[in-house]
Amino acid sequence: MTVQMIFLAFFGGAALWFGVVVFRTHSMVRSALALLFSQTAIGAMFLVMQAEFLGVLQIMMMATEMSVMAIFMVMFMMDPGGMGKMDMTHQKRLSLWAGGIGLLAALLLVWLPDWGPVALSVPGAHEQAADLGRELLGRSMFIFQSAGLTILTAMIAATMVAIVPNAEQRK
Amino acid sequence: MSIVVVLVSLAAGAYVLAVIERWAVQGHLSLTGPAWAALALLGRESLLARKSDRLFFELGPVLLLVAGLMAVAVIPLAPGLIITDLATGALFLNAALAYVLVALIMAGWGPNGAYAMIAGWRFLGQFIAYAMLIVMPITAVAMRAESLSTVEIVASQAQLWNVLYQPMGFALFVVAAMGLAWLPPLDLPDAAGELAGGVEAEYTGVRLAVLRLARMVIILALAGATVTFYLGGWLGPWLPPWGWSAIKILAVAAAMLSVGRYMPRIREARYLALSWKLGISLALANIFVVGVIALVVPI
Repeated sequence: MTVQMIFLAFFGGAALWFGVVVFRTHSMVRSALALLFSQTAIGAMFLVMQAEFLGVLQIMMMATEMSVMAIFMVMFMMDPGGMGKMDMTHQKRLSLWAGGIGLLAALLLVWLPDWGPVALSVPGAHEQAADLGRELLGRSMFIFQSAGLTILTAMIAATMVAIVPNAEQRK
Repeated sequence: MSIVVVLVSLAAGAYVLAVIERWAVQGHLSLTGPAWAALALLGRESLLARKSDRLFFELGPVLLLVAGLMAVAVIPLAPGLIITDLATGALFLNAALAYVLVALIMAGWGPNGAYAMIAGWRFLGQFIAYAMLIVMPITAVAMRAESLSTVEIVASQAQLWNVLYQPMGFALFVVAAMGLAWLPPLDLPDAAGELAGGVEAEYTGVRLAVLRLARMVIILALAGATVTFYLGGWLGPWLPPWGWSAIKILAVAAAMLSVGRYMPRIREARYLALSWKLGISLALANIFVVGVIALVVPI
């Protein structure tokens, strides 16, 4: 139990530290990849907490998602390499308030509700994957399918809004 | 104990693969060639580009090697001879290989050179072209085995290998694997013809040695994955299980390395168009067909 706690704290610390690095660096690519390693550390925390499927999924998904984000940051920002010492922070007062309120809300969510008794045994990894599959194809199927469709619609709509029509199309 | 055996076999396999690659590319067989080449690389000056992103430049090749080693960890060479038999092995293999992309972006961005950078981002641009064709065939393989564990996947092929059960998935997986290991004719991230070496262009000396070693490990991992998912893993008559694994993995790797000699390099736009339009449709059809077979005639 103690070893587990030490690893959990280590990866938690790593996730926080990389989260800080996101805003401390001047380079867009470093910022995006710092966010990736922050998320990877959270995936490692899942693994430490014996949620194998969720951990591996988190580690896999974030690698590709954050890389895609990196290329968009490079494409749209004026100083992607950070050679002009661009500051990653802006609207500091608003950000501080938003961050503070977010932290408070998260802590209240952790402390206030009654989470019930702590589970003493964790189902095996095989069983977890099977249970997750049943959940996704049963009770939660409608939620996940509608979320997927919404995201797809949003992606298509965002792409359409982003494309600037050329002179011929404007006629 | 398994870790030591697997790592030693991996080192030996990487060396044999280097010999085969030399043979396939240069046309003559030299058993000591790769050793001399490695010594020469280690002795050479390791240049650092001006205004490079030092952290990424150094970490790129190392992350590539780590990704390859992680992928190898879930490939079974014989019953019991596997570093870790995860319940989510097939998914874990995918997760490890996703970091090949991250490593190439780092290695491309790091040296502050145009060719390398274009090559790194190009690999990201190809992402759907290889990653989807790795994930979707694996889904069909896991459907038949009713498990993500690589050991169970091999065991599920006792009656009939997956290469015969789902040949379309096999073809898609091998092509995608060659794209992921950037092997000719899909070697677009180091495209010798147009990008003068691409991600490898700015690496010299010991850093290049690590990059090349990492690539050998990734080729072996992908050959191992092909054998595990489609060619029955360690299964086979007469020989001991590890013998079958070794023969099959080296044969698949040698075949992957040799294809480039007989095919022209594919254009990037064509590779992307084929993968998006044809590859993904075929992969979805493969999942459907395998699902129907699994329900109607379970073998």
